[in-house]
Amino acid sequence: MTTANTTNTYTLPVGPLHVALEEPMYFDIQVEGETVRGVQLTAGHVHRGMEALAMQRNYLQNVTLTERVCSLCSNSHPATYCMAVEALSGLTIPERAKYLRVIADEVKRIASHLFNVGIMAHLTGFDSLFMHAMEVREIMQDAKEGVYGNRMNLGQCVIGGCRRDIDEETAAFLRGQLEQLKPQLDELYGVFERDPLIRKRTRGIGLLPLAEAKRLAVVGPVARASGVAYDVRRKAPYAAYPELDFEVQSDTKGDVHSRALLRLREAVESVKLIEQCLRKMPSGPVCTEGMPAVPRGESVARSEAPRGEVFYYLRSDGTDTPQRLKWRVPTYMNWEALQVMLANCQVADIALIVNSIDPCISCTER
Amino acid sequence: MSSILEAAFATVVFPGGLFALALGLFLKGMDRKVLARLQRRVGPPIYQPVIDIAKLLTKETLIPTTANELAFRLAPVLGLTGMLVAAALMPVAGVWNGVTGLSDLLVLLYLLPIPAMGLMLAGGASSSPYGSLGYSREMAVMFAYEMPLIASFLAVAVRTGGAAGPMLSLSGIMAYQIHHGALLLDPVMLPAVAALIVFIPGTMGSGLFDIAEAESEILEGPLLEYSGPLLAVFQLMSAVKLVVVLELVVALLCPNPIPGGVPANLVWHVGKCLLLLLVSVTCFRAATGRLRVDQGFAFFLKFTSPLALVSLCLAITLR
Repeated sequence: MTTANTTNTYTLPVGPLHVALEEPMYFDIQVEGETVRGVQLTAGHVHRGMEALAMQRNYLQNVTLTERVCSLCSNSHPATYCMAVEALSGLTIPERAKYLRVIADEVKRIASHLFNVGIMAHLTGFDSLFMHAMEVREIMQDAKEGVYGNRMNLGQCVIGGCRRDIDEETAAFLRGQLEQLKPQLDELYGVFERDPLIRKRTRGIGLLPLAEAKRLAVVGPVARASGVAYDVRRKAPYAAYPELDFEVQSDTKGDVHSRALLRLREAVESVKLIEQCLRKMPSGPVCTEGMPAVPRGESVARSEAPRGEVFYYLRSDGTDTPQRLKWRVPTYMNWEALQVMLANCQVADIALIVNSIDPCISCTER
Repeated sequence: MSSILEAAFATVVFPGGLFALALGLFLKGMDRKVLARLQRRVGPPIYQPVIDIAKLLTKETLIPTTANELAFRLAPVLGLTGMLVAAALMPVAGVWNGVTGLSDLLVLLYLLPIPAMGLMLAGGASSSPYGSLGYSREMAVMFAYEMPLIASFLAVAVRTGGAAGPMLSLSGIMAYQIHHGALLLDPVMLPAVAALIVFIPGTMGSGLFDIAEAESEILEGPLLEYSGPLLAVFQLMSAVKLVVVLELVVALLCPNPIPGGVPANLVWHVGKCLLLLLVSVTCFRAATGRLRVDQGFAFFLKFTSPLALVSLCLAITLR
């Protein structure tokens, strides 16, 4: 966005540390009165050199490393990395492991989406709703802790399958948590859909029209709320998704409100997916025996993280260490769209709009 | 001589000064505790505001090098002084009749915007862009809530009709209500009651109207650069302002004392303030978020001001 008139504007520095931003990012915002006239994004505050680290560790160690790229999508990264390694070394994972991977992915998706809509409520100043959303999310946190032993990093994916099986007792516990979650998700959806304040503050702001969404190639809920029904789980199914029945949620409004509602609808779909997995999961091993040497060559893998498409590229020279491991995360595609969404918005809406793409800075800068 | 002593007592001990500070901090603490319980949190202890102030007082005062130091230091003191003077004018039914024979509503109309002006001065002096945004927001919100406030004042004054002393005298308004019943229950005054109850969160900046100090938007605006004792003074100002606003609305709408002498009436008074706080601030902000500044302005213009004006018109017609 160009700054049209520099005489009446002044600079409002948002970030790198700002209450409204969960992670460090710097927005140099030109403001005229309360209206935004120009935005410049500066990133790079949490670069940790993870891609360089990945090239110094062997394939097994990298599973642990990729899980620590980001906390909210901490299952999508190792899962996609494992898919890339398996594709290169020709490993086929057991059927049961495919379902277990879907369960882990969807549990994380529900928790991530609830976190995002909760933060949205907090940014409108509606802290009671924020507390409520976080309380609903707590059901999923308990589920993670009960099933995987951890509340954030599940440690479920390994090359060739999954680490932990879900036995009957654990499955019953998970089903119980989902039963608890379902009515609360419905209630939460109603509140977000109908609450006058939420509607007043979030409808019609941060607009991303379909044409712009296509031009900027946005992914995930941001794309789907603007009418691009692109979901890797449907377009390029992986794991057990081909056998599962789910609806790709989409909307045409493309504003902050529609993105939040879309995330909540996706959480409801995720609940259905987990229930299907628990029902359909065949018995058998959860992981292949041992791991073959990774041959020389390259491979790619992609999956649908809570924020959109995650893409892994792997090149091997035949040693036990990747020659190159590179990943592209959804936020990298989405944050350019902020230029469009923030154009001529109000200062009060900046935080809401930035949050509506669910930015994950630690993923993007790794 | 005795009147000077009386005025000094009113300013330093009761109902202004120490009493107002203590009551303000207690009400702030109750507000936080009850809000926390409404959100299913444990919440801080009720004396948390006192701890906060004590901690801030021991801290260093940092002043931005680009700030106007004099204005920066003066702003919180100005705000607190204005509010302490206003608190001294407040009557406490059955305990203290306030200053009689004075058009004190008029004085209060001038005193009430002082905290907002202190914050505006602070925002301007701090040389931060967030401060200037807070400045402009504070001003917009102030213009929005002053109008229904003035209209409600006039409605109350016209309704009570200057039965004892000047029309705009708080003690006169109280005397009228003690004889004719509380205005809270007067059907003619109902719209003005609603307007006054909305005015409280409006001027305190809570719930829908947390616009000038919006933490997640402009980082508390004018207060962003404040730290240490100066911030403590701002917090005290806010506490005393809460007392003044609540006591004012109580005096305008339901000052009626109860039998049982001074101690009982003191408890009764604090109870009324607390109830009003819980209804108009705590529950209100538990149930709402914040409006954008233009929406907040429109809210007062479209809903609150007409309500107060309806009461004013009714009061004039039925005189």
